[in-house]
Amino acid sequence: MPGMNNGLDPDDPTVVAASRAALLHQGLIVLLIFAVLSVAWVSVRGQPGGSRGWGREGSAHPLARVRAGLWAYGEPAGRQVLRIGFGLLWLADAVLLAQPGMAAGLPSQVIGPSAVTSPAWVQHVAGWAGNTWSYQPVEVSSAALWIEAGIGLWLLAAPRGTSSRLAGLASLTWGLVVWVFGESFGQIFAPGLSWLSGAPGAALLYAVAGALLVLPDRAWRTPRLGRALLGGLGVFLIGMAVLQAWPGRGFWQGASAGQPGTLAALAQTLAGTPQPHALSALLSGFASLVRAHGFAVNLVTVIVLAATGLAFLSARRRVTGPAVTAFIGVCLLAWVLTEDLGFLGGLGADPGSMIPMTLLAGGGYLALTRVPAAPAPDEALAEEAPAAEIGTDAIPEPVAGGLRDRWRERLGPAALHRSLTAATFGAMMSLGAIGVILLGAVPMAAAQVTPAASVILAQSMDGAANAMDAPAPDFTLTDQHGRQMSLAGLHGKVVLLTFLDPVCVTDCPLIAQEFRAAGQLLGARSRQVELVAVNINPLYSQLAYIRAFDHAERLDTVPNWHFLTSNPARLRQVYRAYGVASQTLPAGAMLGHSDIAFVVDQRGHLVQELNVDPGPGTAITKSSFAAELADAASQTLRSA
Amino acid sequence: MTRARRAAAGLALIMLAAGCGSRAERPAGTPAPAPVPLSLVTALTLAGTTWATIPMGAPSGPNQFWQLFTLSGPSGRWSLRTPPGIATNGALVLAGPGRQTLITGIRPSLDLGFSPVTATRDGGGTWSSLPPEPGFADVPDALAAAPDGRLIALDVNQTVQASASQQAGWTTLTTAKDLAATAAGRRCALARLTAVAYTPAGSPLLAGICGRAGTAGIFASQDQTWQLAGPELPAALSGQPVRVIRLSQAGGRDVALLQAGTGPSASLLAAWAGDGRAWTLSPAFAIPGSHTVSASFGADGAVAVVLSGGRGVTLSGPGATWRQLPPLPPGQAVVLALPAPGTTGLLATAGSMLTAWQLTGQPARWTRTQSVKVPIQYGSSSGN
Repeated sequence: MPGMNNGLDPDDPTVVAASRAALLHQGLIVLLIFAVLSVAWVSVRGQPGGSRGWGREGSAHPLARVRAGLWAYGEPAGRQVLRIGFGLLWLADAVLLAQPGMAAGLPSQVIGPSAVTSPAWVQHVAGWAGNTWSYQPVEVSSAALWIEAGIGLWLLAAPRGTSSRLAGLASLTWGLVVWVFGESFGQIFAPGLSWLSGAPGAALLYAVAGALLVLPDRAWRTPRLGRALLGGLGVFLIGMAVLQAWPGRGFWQGASAGQPGTLAALAQTLAGTPQPHALSALLSGFASLVRAHGFAVNLVTVIVLAATGLAFLSARRRVTGPAVTAFIGVCLLAWVLTEDLGFLGGLGADPGSMIPMTLLAGGGYLALTRVPAAPAPDEALAEEAPAAEIGTDAIPEPVAGGLRDRWRERLGPAALHRSLTAATFGAMMSLGAIGVILLGAVPMAAAQVTPAASVILAQSMDGAANAMDAPAPDFTLTDQHGRQMSLAGLHGKVVLLTFLDPVCVTDCPLIAQEFRAAGQLLGARSRQVELVAVNINPLYSQLAYIRAFDHAERLDTVPNWHFLTSNPARLRQVYRAYGVASQTLPAGAMLGHSDIAFVVDQRGHLVQELNVDPGPGTAITKSSFAAELADAASQTLRSA
Repeated sequence: MTRARRAAAGLALIMLAAGCGSRAERPAGTPAPAPVPLSLVTALTLAGTTWATIPMGAPSGPNQFWQLFTLSGPSGRWSLRTPPGIATNGALVLAGPGRQTLITGIRPSLDLGFSPVTATRDGGGTWSSLPPEPGFADVPDALAAAPDGRLIALDVNQTVQASASQQAGWTTLTTAKDLAATAAGRRCALARLTAVAYTPAGSPLLAGICGRAGTAGIFASQDQTWQLAGPELPAALSGQPVRVIRLSQAGGRDVALLQAGTGPSASLLAAWAGDGRAWTLSPAFAIPGSHTVSASFGADGAVAVVLSGGRGVTLSGPGATWRQLPPLPPGQAVVLALPAPGTTGLLATAGSMLTAWQLTGQPARWTRTQSVKVPIQYGSSSGN
């Protein structure tokens, strides 16, 4: 699929090391955020006017006060299950994103496979996401990790009010982003859709939970929400039962014509992935069972899905209670047997759809059966005063004047001080969680607007540049216009120097394109940089070849591009001076030569040597090498 | 709408429906001939030296490398003479102005977007580059050389390029589109060009596929205009579409290989001309359901053709009849060679191995004469 191939091994050591380093640095920033907030909170609370306590109630024991701040409010049980459950799931997802192979491997091993059987337009959407990730693998993977960690923390820390609803909104938004771009709409447009294989996609369930948490508190104080949630789940499960029972989709056959049926094949594939032996044996056993008794297994599945769906739709306590319990059991079984715990069947970015499904069912049941009493007056007041809740629970005094004055008053130092002194532990944690989300969101947004791929891709293939400090051997050769040009004549400018074969069929055209792109990345600075190539093929040294190459590679319009040639003897002198090999190979092979580039500074000194073997020559790797060359030139310009 | 306007609109619709506004490109009832992939595998014998180009290595892709072999004299041995310093993944096209002299064009391939040209004057011992061509067409006769050093080429865009000398640059001589618009082109209903050549006198010849049945699309230049100069086909073939498969110089004259008809009614014909106009036509050789795999020319104007199904036929020259060969030895690629009158050789490849065979004895049979292990540089065109 386009955009999915960044040319990297998922376990590429350079990318893994860079990813670890980025996470470590950002982890320290996260700790710093919470440390600063804690210090600010504790010191302000210690000041006159502060509440001198950990919670709003001013309990004596710190932990008791923390508990009071977080859980004193009577949050509806159904909401609490969703908030805490999905908060923990987001944190688990963040941990999974920290896997070593995630930065380089997610596009090819997660996004690509999930989109490959979907229609072209879905592949296009997923391809865009894979491309974005592949261009900046370290930056985007760590950004996604912190966004998910931040959402998880925020959900856990904000039990009520606007802050909690905003955390739900964050879960809804990011869940949809992951569902659309990462899971290819949960593969709902692909053939073979089945509840057993994770339909409708875990991230959509995160988004649904987020949407439920966005609802105002009063929505949770009637059984209607629980009825609607269980009813929705019931309709979904009945729909899945119909799909599972639909003839011709391969679920009724354990094996057909010697080939495993749809479910048996799924189980067999999962059993073959690297995982603990006990789990692998269990999955193999299940695959054998399905292969031998495919009809019976599917019949049970259809009956369970249909019966659970009908029970959920009935919304009767006597029926829904056992149905939810049984459904949770079935989900856990399916989580092991058909989802391989969600993350063991290859590079997994979440624990699959079954755990979120159990949370939604449990939350719906509690919302139906454990409707809380009407809110106490102070809770109702708190809910009606959103401005007081993100950073604090204090309500600003009304001030005279216009809207602008009122906002100035609310955001002024005095108001902020008031807010801080009245803030609960949960509010401070929420603020920290927002900081963590921003730590991910800002680089994620920056990655979208960065025109070039990360240099880490080039470095992973060819290693980092070697620093040098030696005078660049001078030469005088003929440029593509037939003019004599010497390296000494370019003193005062940074020179990116390479050696290209004008009749080369693979690497040289790619390197030339990378040079051209590097010039574009340099922008206005490219006026201080000259892009110089020396013909490495003495057998095709005529100017006509230089011009044909330039024309084919659209370099004939690049003002600072100079492709130099001369007679074979003079060219060989230059090769010797720079230690560049040029070897004629037999039997129709192109000329063998090293793919190398030098950076010459304004004084005419060689300052860097770069291996520029372009590897697979994908759009991403070309962009990465261009970025590496542009960075090298910029660095040399700065150090002048 | 008035009655007059309605009538005008109605007339216009009728005219459109009748196709009054369209240009008649070819006679009604003649289907447009489908482009036939012409194999670039070939051998030609020039003044005692036989050259053959054949793909080796992988069956396709960046590990397929076209090789050039030469055989000096009828009893000599085949030697590898592939031009150095250039990847030959895109195939070689050959043009031979004389003994020991060969001009070779390398077709575009992979990331190479134009065609390098190189020449040898010592039988492939040393090579020197000539100005590059914009990109040779995927046909075996995309390059031809005149005795005075001029070159003519057919490129991938169906443009005919000419070079005043071997060191001069290329200029456009004509295009298939322009040629199709001439009187000769309209008579032929030219669909596409397939070959370029020179007459022994140095006048350019172009060949192609005509949309008009029974017309051999060979064009000669006269007084700055192109004339349809192909041979007249026998009446029995006048209703058949005709394709010029090959057009080359051999034995001091031009030789054309034609295919008339398609599928079960397909047949091969050869034609010879000393001036590009007065053609001597061979008998037709029926090849029902077969297609041409490769075709070669001998020094005396002899023709050898490898057909699908492992069959081969030869024709020794004007006035001769087609001769069927014993079943050909198998190979990844197979080409017949005619190094001397009465001598038929064959080259067959398998990966890096070239095997040479010769037709000997009575009854004739294939005898292996030589094996050449070619040092193919696998992976050298694949990048890393």
